[in-house]
Amino acid sequence: MKASMFAAMGYSKRHTFPSTWPISPVHADPATSVQSYREGMDECELAEEMGFDWLSFSEHHYSGRIPTGTPAVMASAVAERCRKITIAVLGHLLPLNNPVRVAEELALLDNLTNGRLVAGFLRGTPNEDQVYTMNPAEGRGRLLEGMDLILKALTEPHPFSWEGRYYQFRTVAVWPRPVQQPTPPVIVGTRSDDTIRYAAEHRLGLGVSFLPVEQTAAITDKYRAWCEEAGWTPGPDNIVYRGSIYVAETDGLAQEWFKGLQQSKPGPNIPMRRTVSEAINAARAGNVFDLRGVVAGSPEGDVVGNSLGINFLGGPDTVAKQIKEFHDRCGVGVIDMPFQQNKVDHEAVLKEIELFGRAVIPQLREF
Amino acid sequence: MVFQEREVEADGFKIRYWEAGQGQPVVMLDSTGWRGTILHEALAEKYRVFSLELPGTGDSPVNMESKSMEYLAATAAKAAAGLTKERYTLIGTSFGANLAIWQAIQDPDLVEALILISPTAIQPQNAPASATAEDVHKMAFAHGENAGKHVALSPEVFAKESELAGRLVSDVESRLGDIHCPTLAVFGQEDRLVSQEAARVYREKIPNCNIALVYDAGHCIIGDRPEALLNTVIDYTEHWETFIIGHQTGLINP
Repeated sequence: MKASMFAAMGYSKRHTFPSTWPISPVHADPATSVQSYREGMDECELAEEMGFDWLSFSEHHYSGRIPTGTPAVMASAVAERCRKITIAVLGHLLPLNNPVRVAEELALLDNLTNGRLVAGFLRGTPNEDQVYTMNPAEGRGRLLEGMDLILKALTEPHPFSWEGRYYQFRTVAVWPRPVQQPTPPVIVGTRSDDTIRYAAEHRLGLGVSFLPVEQTAAITDKYRAWCEEAGWTPGPDNIVYRGSIYVAETDGLAQEWFKGLQQSKPGPNIPMRRTVSEAINAARAGNVFDLRGVVAGSPEGDVVGNSLGINFLGGPDTVAKQIKEFHDRCGVGVIDMPFQQNKVDHEAVLKEIELFGRAVIPQLREF
Repeated sequence: MVFQEREVEADGFKIRYWEAGQGQPVVMLDSTGWRGTILHEALAEKYRVFSLELPGTGDSPVNMESKSMEYLAATAAKAAAGLTKERYTLIGTSFGANLAIWQAIQDPDLVEALILISPTAIQPQNAPASATAEDVHKMAFAHGENAGKHVALSPEVFAKESELAGRLVSDVESRLGDIHCPTLAVFGQEDRLVSQEAARVYREKIPNCNIALVYDAGHCIIGDRPEALLNTVIDYTEHWETFIIGHQTGLINP
């Protein structure tokens, strides 16, 4: 099994942020920001040194927790420092982007890394529907069409025009061509049936994030069945699971950290005003949104958001066992982990990466 | 816009055609059952449109006289010449597009611009020999629900047209370089009756050729994505190869 570090590149003083989204840029000090990216790149270098197989980067917006709104820029900077490891952009949020531009970024990155790129396509979390003012109801359609267009743009040898539902380009002729032919490996990050089926039918990989093992297995079972229907069997690199992690020398130390985290009562992940959150979800589902009804009946307060648990928690053996469960039950071949958790500073992250590389990765190689 | 049904003679055939609109002429070699679409309506708003029923297709008698694509294309050209003395935009769909190719090769002085919709001249992926009219009808759409909205050819018309298309196969690939008018070839991304590779051949061999790919459409683009086809064809008819230049405003609040 392969290990991937999700390079969140978080702002080092992220524990001082208020529990809101977006996070006001007033909290960003340029000097701290520069230092934070440098620390993040140091973490990437150590991960490569400790035997990680992939480094992954994600498109997220308007927050210092994962301040990589343009993941290809971040990935290309790290790729120059880390010269052998696979560079995975997991991924671009297609509904927010010009798909031709994404194709150009991916092709360029595959050239800059001499064929070390893995590409990822996602719809994005509901909060990100606010970024660039995209209509949430159109997200799924834009994702599906965007994937088709990007794959065509990367493979078509002559200029063509594209007459889509959401995109119209009268001249598409992407340069350069990807080093990996016909395209770099692609992971589709999704939980939705239509997109899982799309990945299976187009022989693309599948990415699942942060779900418990049973729910993940339900998704990967569907994917693998639909791949078989489409006449192929996905390999280990085709199924990627992203889960949060805290690994310590012993189970006791890890539990102690987690207890401290809970006692500090961290705010919800991606908190939004209830009205905005419900309006987005209603728009995604094509439902009418009753603004006044929500405001009047909001006993939990104005800000909502889910708290993410920790998927992998414990000493090296425990964490390896937890990861193996995803391998055995879900067919996961690549485990992608953000080490930058709340209350974990740069020095602690480095220690975790070192520990994971020394004591967990050798166990992952056994399955 | 009302299309008037009329008749013109060429090579001894009595050829039915439908005419509407004013302006520069547009000659259409349509698939049976696909006249009077929103594409025809939109074209007739700006152009003088002639939609021809090729001998051996639709309700016309069995055509055993045409011995080759070249011959049938010449017949179509003579029919068009009987309708207009001006140079015209020629739009062919599926088998009609194959004839349009030959017409543009043989009569370059008549064809001002060429639009090929789902042409099957290069790398066709033929339906199985046992396929019925209903089978082929379903294969022509990307979505079953769209197939259900339209009627398949009758078994008699299907047999007649299949015999004609099967008998008149000819190698046109080596002649594509002889097409010198502006050309657009339009393909559905989900076309199961033509290889996805075919578009590249047109682009490579025809000197001034644009390729348009219509997302989420099968062979019958007008059935799956009518607005997208209309938009593309209208723009190309108006602007030829300059249709790549954007004219839509991005201004939101002046």
